[in-house]
Amino acid sequence: MTQSNGTRRVVVTGTGAVTPIGIGVDDYWTSLKAGVSGVAPIQRFDTEDLYITIAGEVKGFDPRACLRRLKRDKVLPHADRFSQFAGVAACEAMDQAGIEAPIEDGMRAASIIGSGAGGLVTFEAAYRDLFIRKKKATHPFTLLRIIGSSAAAHVGIEYGIKGPTFGTVSACATAAHAIGLMFDFVRRGVVDIGIAGASESVLNYGTMRAWQAMRVLSPDGCFPFSKNRNGTVLAEGCGLLVLENLERARARGANILGEVVGFGMTSDAKDMVNPDIEGPREAMRQALRDADLSTTDIDYLNAHGTATAVNDVNETRAIKDVFGDHAKNLSVSSTKSMHGHMLGAGGGIEAVACLKAIEEGFVPPTIGYTEPDPECDLDYTPNEGRKRDVTYAMSNSFAFGGLNAVLVFGPPPA
Amino acid sequence: MDDVASKIVEILQKHMKDPDKEVAMGTKLEDLEIESLDLAMIVFDIEDSFGIEIPYNANEEVEDFKTVGSVVDRVRSLVEGSDASPSGAAA
Repeated sequence: MTQSNGTRRVVVTGTGAVTPIGIGVDDYWTSLKAGVSGVAPIQRFDTEDLYITIAGEVKGFDPRACLRRLKRDKVLPHADRFSQFAGVAACEAMDQAGIEAPIEDGMRAASIIGSGAGGLVTFEAAYRDLFIRKKKATHPFTLLRIIGSSAAAHVGIEYGIKGPTFGTVSACATAAHAIGLMFDFVRRGVVDIGIAGASESVLNYGTMRAWQAMRVLSPDGCFPFSKNRNGTVLAEGCGLLVLENLERARARGANILGEVVGFGMTSDAKDMVNPDIEGPREAMRQALRDADLSTTDIDYLNAHGTATAVNDVNETRAIKDVFGDHAKNLSVSSTKSMHGHMLGAGGGIEAVACLKAIEEGFVPPTIGYTEPDPECDLDYTPNEGRKRDVTYAMSNSFAFGGLNAVLVFGPPPA
Repeated sequence: MDDVASKIVEILQKHMKDPDKEVAMGTKLEDLEIESLDLAMIVFDIEDSFGIEIPYNANEEVEDFKTVGSVVDRVRSLVEGSDASPSGAAA
């Protein structure tokens, strides 16, 4: 259970999901398989004079119902929505892993749960109170709600995790960096078990204004790789994994869902918004080398696929550079077409999709694909998911700033 | 050059790498080395200066943003339309 280089194998024993197409992994996966879109007109705040008025909101999330079972963390019910998403996803993932709070040997456990932007909804509400309503004080939890590491801290408190606990920040690669770091911590023996991923909930008027000013959002929907794509669609949610060393998982008889086999990370070091080929390409290559796999071993690639004009062409080229002739045999899809762009949380929720694809031998589709683009000429699993044996799956996360993180997942070790 | 045109040229010059380059109505924005992020800032400046809203999308090739003259025409029509229909710019 120790590899030739002396490191330990790292398996996934729990998954948790809070998404615009389902709260809980079962509902999320059922929606992904059926090609359900979670993008809709924004309900939670007044879109006033915006011209981008759609997003992937998490519907029917009742924090009190979801968080009633908390044993140790008394503050989470009053936390920002992004921390509450993480609390709910963590409960699901830990339940699945068969771990009760507090965790055994907390010093050997870690919580790495990032957020691209932290509590922006709290921020805006506080500023409205101060500057518009001229209130004398903000809510006493304002600061705690805003802090980007608060999801990691809340989950750590609830589960008695006393080892490394922090959040990662790398825009849309945040969750992938968190999972990759946890993978490294567990295989090097820094800890034996941990919960990792990211949570994001930034949908409010100010965020929509800021993104609208970037001119990269679609007013219509998220149509990755389709010729008629015209921008991405913001969304919110959380995706978390419980990672554990194989030996520990087997010793306690845990149900092993899959294995994390490779991680690569690079930076374009070039441009804040326009992606480069080299960074994504080398991150994918690193992840394959790390996994000790060849390109032909990958069956499914969950693309970053944001549906911006530039990303989808660039990512397609980078995939072709890495996979060569095998690129045509890959099943590629962008599940963002269904759950929208959850920003920092994207890599977490897409990791869950990869693990389910391996478990069930089913590739989720890219929906809204109506018009082939000669510059995006791979098999994007258009509109309908498909049965296919998936042994290894790759998940790409490429962020503003040119920050790239790639994960490779495999089946439960024989 | 009317007020709208001269204001737009002023905004463009503020964002050009080489502000001494000649700007005529027929000049293409790409010849002024204006890239997508520059354009987002230019559109922001124009909206702010004229009190209008331009639903420009960087993912789409838009004829309105090909030349200096086409930007001026677009802004002029929005400015003229803004009194009659305040929501016109967002439509």
